[in-house]
Amino acid sequence: MIRALFILYLAWQAASPQAAEHMQAGLAAEKDRRFEVAIKEFDQATKLEPSLVDGFIRLGQAYMENADYGAAIAPLKHALEMSPDSLPAHQLLGYSLLSQGYASEAIPHLALLPDKTTLGIAQMQAGQLAEAVTNLRAALAAHPNDPDVLYYLGRASGLLAKQSIDTLLASYPDSARAHQAMAENYFVLRRMPDAEKEYREALKLRPGLPEAHLALGEVYAGAFQWPKAEEQFRIQAKLQPGNAEAAYRLGQALLEQGKVREARAELTRADRLMPDMPETLYSLGKAASLDGDPSAAEKAWTKLLSIEKQTSLAAQAHFGLAGIYRKQGKAAEAKQEMQAFESLQNPAGAHK
Amino acid sequence: MLLLLGASATHPVFDVVSPHGLNFILQNSPTPQKYLIETMPGGVGLLDYNNDGRLDIFFVNGGHVSSPMGIPENFSRHDPRYWNRLYRQNKDGSFTDVTEQAGLSKAGDGNYGMGVAVGDYDNDGYPDLYVTNYGKNILYHNNGDGTFTDVTAKAGVAAGGWSVSAGFFDYDNDGKLDLFVTRYMEWDTKHSKICGGNYHTYCPPEEFPATTSILYHNNGDGTFTDVSKSSGIAAKKGRGLGVAFADYDGDGFTDVFVANDGMQQYLFHNNGDGTFSEVGLEAGAALSQDGRRLSGMGVVFQDYDNDGRPDVIVTELPREIYGVYHNDGAGSFSYRSLETGLGLLSSGSSGWGVGLEDFDNDGWKDLFVAQGHVLDNVEQIDPSLHYLEPPLLAMNHEGRFEKVDSGDTMPWAARGAAFGDLNNDGWQDVVMTTLGGHPQVLLNRGGKAHWLVITLRGTRSNRDGFGARVQVNGQTRFATSAGSYLSANDKRLHFGLGTAEKAKVEISWPSGIHQVLNEVHADQFLEVREPEKP
Repeated sequence: MIRALFILYLAWQAASPQAAEHMQAGLAAEKDRRFEVAIKEFDQATKLEPSLVDGFIRLGQAYMENADYGAAIAPLKHALEMSPDSLPAHQLLGYSLLSQGYASEAIPHLALLPDKTTLGIAQMQAGQLAEAVTNLRAALAAHPNDPDVLYYLGRASGLLAKQSIDTLLASYPDSARAHQAMAENYFVLRRMPDAEKEYREALKLRPGLPEAHLALGEVYAGAFQWPKAEEQFRIQAKLQPGNAEAAYRLGQALLEQGKVREARAELTRADRLMPDMPETLYSLGKAASLDGDPSAAEKAWTKLLSIEKQTSLAAQAHFGLAGIYRKQGKAAEAKQEMQAFESLQNPAGAHK
Repeated sequence: MLLLLGASATHPVFDVVSPHGLNFILQNSPTPQKYLIETMPGGVGLLDYNNDGRLDIFFVNGGHVSSPMGIPENFSRHDPRYWNRLYRQNKDGSFTDVTEQAGLSKAGDGNYGMGVAVGDYDNDGYPDLYVTNYGKNILYHNNGDGTFTDVTAKAGVAAGGWSVSAGFFDYDNDGKLDLFVTRYMEWDTKHSKICGGNYHTYCPPEEFPATTSILYHNNGDGTFTDVSKSSGIAAKKGRGLGVAFADYDGDGFTDVFVANDGMQQYLFHNNGDGTFSEVGLEAGAALSQDGRRLSGMGVVFQDYDNDGRPDVIVTELPREIYGVYHNDGAGSFSYRSLETGLGLLSSGSSGWGVGLEDFDNDGWKDLFVAQGHVLDNVEQIDPSLHYLEPPLLAMNHEGRFEKVDSGDTMPWAARGAAFGDLNNDGWQDVVMTTLGGHPQVLLNRGGKAHWLVITLRGTRSNRDGFGARVQVNGQTRFATSAGSYLSANDKRLHFGLGTAEKAKVEISWPSGIHQVLNEVHADQFLEVREPEKP
């Protein structure tokens, strides 16, 4: 970009003295953020020197800086007619078109830029969702954790998912997958009876539909119907004995019903399938504690705390350990754990 | 065998009845302003105010709420629609409204009603009433002739602010009932807020500052002294909604459990020297098993697993599950909501009034909870939750609770609940208040199991015997009329005896006197007088 502007700078050095004077005045005004003056000066320069590519680019840029993106389009297009390879002109025109809602027109210009962020946004707006996701992923790699890029990548991914589901629903409305998709939608909306109905329909059409029993179990769990949740998680765990989440969810459902020993067995299995998951470790400790095995609870919670130190799960683990130590008469250890718990509950400056 | 003796799993435990003459409607007056008081009333008390042997019923009414409220606040309590009501029970089980003749019609226009405590604070043999309000509380002295006198000013117990549940107990074992009053928060209609996004809702408690509970010491001359500060009670600010009493550590002094909303629960240990220490956290009775704060509302402090030690059950909002704090002894509690099965029964419900009563007389205390969400539009926010809910009745099978058909299957926005034997048949009944509606009267259908009902008559101890530990055939009850939410229970102690036709009764009076009665016949109402000497 800098190199391109430098070449342009050299180019307008060769313009007529009057045009060059207006260019200088325009640049000075632009520097002082007097964009309307800058626009007039660049406009004069281009009228005096109609072949001055840089003049048209500067004029377009001044319009953009003055938030008049629509007016920027014509001079930038003109600049590109004269200099089709001008990267600054492509960039500015791409931005202007995109800001005016002409995403499809902007794409060829933005595609020439090394940074793929704006291209991804334009593609998303133009409905080229798969391409948008690809380019926004590349942009995220170049700008890790950039909130704008994260937002647009999330949005584009969501729209892509929706597009795929919309196609599914339109093309195969009575398929098991369509019912599954509808169920997921209802679940997000917390319309549990509708979600349950759709999952049931999906499973009727295709028994053993991958993940459907797990998801239906989640529906029941969300409605506090733990025995039904247990039933679904159990089916999923049987269908997929290697699925750690199914084992974990089943363990949780059992725990909620006070079936401590069974819960412990499932949570142990979940921990074996996918070791060191903090959620599993916490629940495993809880089940062990309820089962009257404080040493196993202590082991699980201590392991959790070696993985997570500042989260709510860590706070819960400290609280659980305090309870164990208190019962064991280890007052100092209990106090230490309670202090750790309270410090996570009430971080400094966050008193109610 | 149990099915033959008491309620079966297939038959409802209660008949929902509408006794003639009981025409009370709880006027909570919901407004678009979403004043928090509107969703919180109202209490019910079961007492035999005229000592005719039949339980009478006192209801606390809310009041008229304008939208918006003017200043000074006026809840139109002079309008009979908004009176508190006392109903005298007649011989035939019908009721007569005696509010006016009893002198209870003046609730105070500046008061929005909340709850009631019942106790004989002057040991004259007649139960007195203490009515809590948003505003000023009122102490009604029972004159013994069917009338009451407002003695608040003389007694010095008006409190102020927003009082909720209250209870009489004798914290210093001097033979005179003292008074504990929970207060919810620092709130008034002028500083009310509306919460919620797309849907306006009542605000969560965290939106308003916490406040202190009040402890009044009974001076024995008709006056009380506010000892909140000197006793240490005022050292802890909370958002108290429920209160219950029991001596959890067996040191002979009655302790206090306060159910706080949206924060840790408070267990005030009675130090025996007129002071209390809040020990909820170190005792393991302050938070959930996961260390989470709870929306404590109602509370009961009785022994659910027949190990002789009082446990605590706290009712809460959905997703928190009702808290069961099992008393492990040595001043320590463990959270047992999941093991007792209560987690399963309560994770989607909102609980208020609560009682541990042996409804099937099998020797195990069962659980009844008045239910209904705080928010009258909760379904719009979360369709899996419900503003109106039927009550929960869970039978106790050796420490594990299992839901059964109460007989009251209609959903209500229930709040207060009081427990007692309304028809003197030896089977515990329930009266439950509902926002904007008539009270629910649940008469126990009964069965064949045996029972024993004991009335304590303190002599050295307070006359009601509150604070006594009574053991009957391996069961334990702590004498109190307090507990639940906003409500006062029948002070008589009810025990289910199962197949036993005789009982051994052991009473540890607050005075320290230990009394044993052997070979007590079942199926009787027994008055036990405290020996004058140890």
